Amino acid sequence: MEDIKIKNVTKVFDGYFKAVNNVSLEIKAGELFSFLGPSGCGKTTLLRMIAGFEVPTTGQILIGNEDITFLPPYHRPVNTVFQNYSLFPHMTVFDNVAFGLKIKKIPKDEIKDRVIEMLKIVKMESEVNKFPNQLSGGQKQRIAIARALINKPKVLLLDEPLAALDLKLRQHMLIELQNIHDVVGITFIYVTHDQSEAISISDRLAVMNEGKILQVGSPDEIYEKPKTIFAANFIGDTNLIDAEVIAKYDDYIELKCDSGDGNHFVIDSAVPFNPEIGQKLTISLRPEKIAISRTPPEMQDDFNLVEGIVEDILYYGSHTHYIVRVGNLRIRVFDQHKRVYVDKTGIDWEEKVFLYWHDEDTHLINEVRES
Amino acid sequence: MDNTKIVLQQKNKLSWILAFPALFWLLFFFFIPYLIVLIYSFLTPTIYDIKFEFTLQAYREIFEWRYIKSFLISLRLATITTVLCLLLGYPVAYFIARSSDKLKNALLFLIIIPFWTNFIIRIFSWRIFLAPEGTLNNILISLGIISEPLMILRTDLAVILVMVYVYLPYMILPLYAGIEKIDFTLINAAMDLGANRWKSFLKVTLPLSKEGIYAGIILVFIPSLGMYVVPHLVGSQESLYIGQIIAYKIKDIPRNWPLASALSFVMLLFVTILMVIIYKFHNRASKIKVDLNENIQKKEF
Repeated sequence: MEDIKIKNVTKVFDGYFKAVNNVSLEIKAGELFSFLGPSGCGKTTLLRMIAGFEVPTTGQILIGNEDITFLPPYHRPVNTVFQNYSLFPHMTVFDNVAFGLKIKKIPKDEIKDRVIEMLKIVKMESEVNKFPNQLSGGQKQRIAIARALINKPKVLLLDEPLAALDLKLRQHMLIELQNIHDVVGITFIYVTHDQSEAISISDRLAVMNEGKILQVGSPDEIYEKPKTIFAANFIGDTNLIDAEVIAKYDDYIELKCDSGDGNHFVIDSAVPFNPEIGQKLTISLRPEKIAISRTPPEMQDDFNLVEGIVEDILYYGSHTHYIVRVGNLRIRVFDQHKRVYVDKTGIDWEEKVFLYWHDEDTHLINEVRES
Repeated sequence: MDNTKIVLQQKNKLSWILAFPALFWLLFFFFIPYLIVLIYSFLTPTIYDIKFEFTLQAYREIFEWRYIKSFLISLRLATITTVLCLLLGYPVAYFIARSSDKLKNALLFLIIIPFWTNFIIRIFSWRIFLAPEGTLNNILISLGIISEPLMILRTDLAVILVMVYVYLPYMILPLYAGIEKIDFTLINAAMDLGANRWKSFLKVTLPLSKEGIYAGIILVFIPSLGMYVVPHLVGSQESLYIGQIIAYKIKDIPRNWPLASALSFVMLLFVTILMVIIYKFHNRASKIKVDLNENIQKKEF
């Protein structure tokens, strides 16, 4: 098992457009790693350079100690599951899956055994004689995975593999993909623009924007401790508040928040980094971390309390989504319903409410929003 | 249920009404004339005309060597023309299909331009070009490449040259239409699975352009087999095309309309059989199925 090393890779298109901008990254052997970002962020270009369909303008790509930067795709120990599956329409499921083995001139009996074994892994052995146009989207997906995995690649690349499937099937295939990853044990690199896919399936992921990697980490790190405003916004839902550091203590710092109407309120944060006093930064506050109540809660030291007016209430079944006005800010709060009647807050429109959350959930981002 | 049935019946009726003009056309201008040709092939020839007396004389005559020979000449030249058109046309069609949209339209336009000039005029210009004292020989002699003029005009080579020239667009256009439909990410997929450029071409691009290849072959081979004008204007008088023989039997005295009819009819029959074979070949999808049970049994024993 070998790690993948991407060293200072840049890809320039048409002489000026930097699709990938000086990216360095190490992907560990056996990892399920995702590139996450909006369309045009460079994730697919990066994937295509690992597959061999594009050559980096500068930089190096290594698998283990082997430099594969300039190897043609057919000499790389890498296989791809393409976005639209790209199954060969003139071949049966069997011939599609057997394609790579036939190219390698493996004996026929062995091909047959391996194809059927592989089709069993993806639960498609009963469709062996069908043509791709006789298969559903989910089935095509499985065949595309089988066709790639049968070649025993060191790395499997998946380019938006679930984008063409409907929601239920997508959730089902996510679990399947994770199971397949567990069975084969090789490195998977998964490219997606769907943050929920990326954080649910990955061991680690890289958040990308405008050709750069903004942050690499485990899904919970990325979700709970985003380093950039972009990452905080792109993954999950968040409230962004402009703030200024006014005091530092041993285990927390005090921040002055601008509520946009000329007023200020002060909240605390357990410190993830060591800012200067007077430094301007941005608070990211996840809506589900905030508790809401119509009566003043019994406060503890390490909690923050803010008062506001309810502007909107949206009932989602599993939770209620409140939009609370604090000065000119709109704070979103998700209130999870654990039990049917007990949870009923009875909060109404234009009512005064109290919002409170733990200091540790006041996440600080060392960036200032552009106004 | 009943309603859908009625709707379907109405749709059927409508499609019959819409198809009627074309069917009518085929019936009166193709089927009935060919029936007349078939009837004529069983009649007795006179010097100028025919007598309405049944005979199989024409079909006996067909098997004379000069007619068989002429048929083989036609077959040979048509085959060479088709193969050359395919070999020359495929790279062009492929190139056009993979060009940007803008370039694509410009190139297709260039392919179609020759159609704007009359067919006969284009062939006559080939005569001027290929003649012993013609453009080609003048250029080659003045460049000192040859000292004696090349005798290309009135040879089979001239026929092939001109027929390839005339029919190349008929090969390129269906090939282009076929290749253009291919999803080129499939070639990426083939290369990803270990096939180099040549193998991905053989295993993916070529099989997927099959439709275009068949259409191109049919569009070039059939008209070049029955060709009359090109061999008549640039071909050798030693090797007569079947089309030329049919023409002579119709216009030159002594005429032999039944023989001309029989030759035409046999040609039609030949082409029809050929089409059926191509069609069968085309539809021969991979019938080799993998038997799962066989495999499982093999493992058990």
